[in-house]
Amino acid sequence: MAHRSVSRGLLFASPWIIGFLVFQLVPILASAYYSLTNFNLFQDPQFVGLHNYQRMASDELFWKSLFNTVYLTVVGVPISLAAALVAALALNMRVPGQWFFRTIVFLPTVVPVVAATYIWRWLLNAQYGYVNEALGTFHLGQPLWLDDAIWTKPALILMSLWVTGSAMIVFLAALKDVPEVYYEAATVDGAGAWSKFRHVTLPLISPVILFETIIAGIFTLQYFTQAYLLSQTRFNGASGGPDNSLLVYGLYLFQQAFVNLNMGYASAMAWVLLFVALIGTLVLLRLSRDRVFYAGD
Amino acid sequence: MRTARLTPLWAVIAAGSIALGGCSSGTSSGATVTINFPYLWGGPEAQALEKVVSDFNASQSGIVVKGVSSPDFQKQLAEMSGANGFDVSDNFGSTVGSWASKGILEPLDSYMQAENYGTGDFVPTALQSNQYQGKTYAMPIAVHTLLLMYNKKLFSDAGIAAGPTTMSDLQADITKLTKVDSSGNITQFGMRSPDYTTLAYAFGGKWYDDSGKPTPDDSGNLAALHFWVDNVVKKYGADKIKKFESGYGEYASAQNPFYTGKVAMTLDGEWQPVFIKEYAPTLDWGVVAIPYPDAQSNLAGATQLTSSMFFIPKNAPHKQQAWTFLKYLVSPAAMTQFTRALGNLPARTSILGSPLYNDLPQFSVWLNSLKSPNLRIFASEPSTAQYQKDLTDEFQRIANLQDTPEAGMAKVKAKAASYGS
Repeated sequence: MAHRSVSRGLLFASPWIIGFLVFQLVPILASAYYSLTNFNLFQDPQFVGLHNYQRMASDELFWKSLFNTVYLTVVGVPISLAAALVAALALNMRVPGQWFFRTIVFLPTVVPVVAATYIWRWLLNAQYGYVNEALGTFHLGQPLWLDDAIWTKPALILMSLWVTGSAMIVFLAALKDVPEVYYEAATVDGAGAWSKFRHVTLPLISPVILFETIIAGIFTLQYFTQAYLLSQTRFNGASGGPDNSLLVYGLYLFQQAFVNLNMGYASAMAWVLLFVALIGTLVLLRLSRDRVFYAGD
Repeated sequence: MRTARLTPLWAVIAAGSIALGGCSSGTSSGATVTINFPYLWGGPEAQALEKVVSDFNASQSGIVVKGVSSPDFQKQLAEMSGANGFDVSDNFGSTVGSWASKGILEPLDSYMQAENYGTGDFVPTALQSNQYQGKTYAMPIAVHTLLLMYNKKLFSDAGIAAGPTTMSDLQADITKLTKVDSSGNITQFGMRSPDYTTLAYAFGGKWYDDSGKPTPDDSGNLAALHFWVDNVVKKYGADKIKKFESGYGEYASAQNPFYTGKVAMTLDGEWQPVFIKEYAPTLDWGVVAIPYPDAQSNLAGATQLTSSMFFIPKNAPHKQQAWTFLKYLVSPAAMTQFTRALGNLPARTSILGSPLYNDLPQFSVWLNSLKSPNLRIFASEPSTAQYQKDLTDEFQRIANLQDTPEAGMAKVKAKAASYGS
């Protein structure tokens, strides 16, 4: 009986199992093997041991791309999550037309990323863009957003603030789950708005914040589309933007694989990224141990 | 027992992969063969090419060519890595070394030998840029040179009678033609930031030595970079130049800054007479050879020659038919028709003097540029793409004053030492 149910279970799971084996496990194992070879897609791979991994140490662009991605992750993720949380708190207030404001904040999230990036490229144009026009009206500096290596990554982060809708929804759901009695108790104890947020709201939604941080972190480590579009050149040749400041890890990996045809090196880079994500997640979990409060504990 | 139970699973996978493999294009049916021809050209240039394609299709019955405009290098490369790709496409001669060394391109020598196909009529430097280690991997259709174009109205407004001859003339003209407002913002730029590899040839520089080794720190290259950095970037400010350049319109449009008078001079190619007819018919413009350094008239007429070519990838399904079509594309008649429509320089010497080009304004200046003894090509080595990318990155840093020309080119030289390892 048990045996029969196992095979039936396998049968029902078979679409997934086949999909996993063919489209995930095989490519994963293949990329592990290719990372130990010189492979240009056209000629047979040559086994070179750990050479690709050693080469990274002296590859200036590898480090630059890793820096760019880590910058976006370490600086960008906290800022965009904070923005999402602030939006969620604001949208959690009982005001007339609440549904309308929620829709407005979520709306940019459904704009296709390619279209949104082209809109931003136009908004951020140093000479004609609305962003600089607005800054100019207030007599503020007008950075060369997309042409100055120092400003390109802040520009990407600015763009990410526009699409915090999905994190906002999750935060909003978490805020709804905080029992009202805690706030009532805090009010009785004389807590103000900030104290309530700091000592009631934040601890109770901390597991959700941790989850969102890990997911957004992993997502940002794979950042590609916006950087690819903003650094595009004629005929779609390989480019990393001003002084390679938009050359994020995923973009460099892509260029190594499909422009320079260094498939082996690109595979090795993919494995290094996996370990970076793994270590980053472990560090986050470790750091959060005393700071995240699970209601069930 | 368990293995037996799982067997159907593997059968499904095997069946699936066979089915997928069977999906490959089966376009050769009976008498006619369909060959696929994606090309990088677009817009009016693509229309000219489509005309050549339809003429070819009408001229014979065995082959039907399907052309499609696909201006994306990365897509082109990806399609050549599969089991079955397209049959013919185009690129620049400078890619030949890199692609041939990786086995991407079909060598054409055996096709030529089988038919005693002669190549004596092709512009020698153009043919040479499509060869690698003694084998021919592509056929040139057109060649290109960059010359100095200038806006005659802006010149006369600034009281300048003629285009510059020497680098001092050029420097003086840039100064006269650059306008800056009260807060230092550029409102008119004397010259669009040049293609530095070409400017280096004008200063007697070179990017490879005779043995095929990169020479980024050649003294002529450094002189060219210094010319631009010292006379233009330091004078007007790297940030001000970048800000001005961020407002440039699309290259192939009426908003091209040379057409709108935002820049007074630009290094540009022989296709411009046709482009200007299309996008800026009222523009009053002139063209001269790139100026030479003072007292070095032996360097007069120096410029870079590049070639546009057609090739057959290794994974082409119909190589013999592709060769037949490729031969047609570079035949004198088709080449004249195509290069005339695009306003490109033909890659065959016998048609350089064709009267068909006469109605293209000032095209003769580019035709004459091909006679210069100072015509240079950027060698087509396996490392070329990587080298050009490293140079472009470093040119940007130098133009931003982040590196001096000496320091920047020394960095490229250090990187170049590991090419091919």
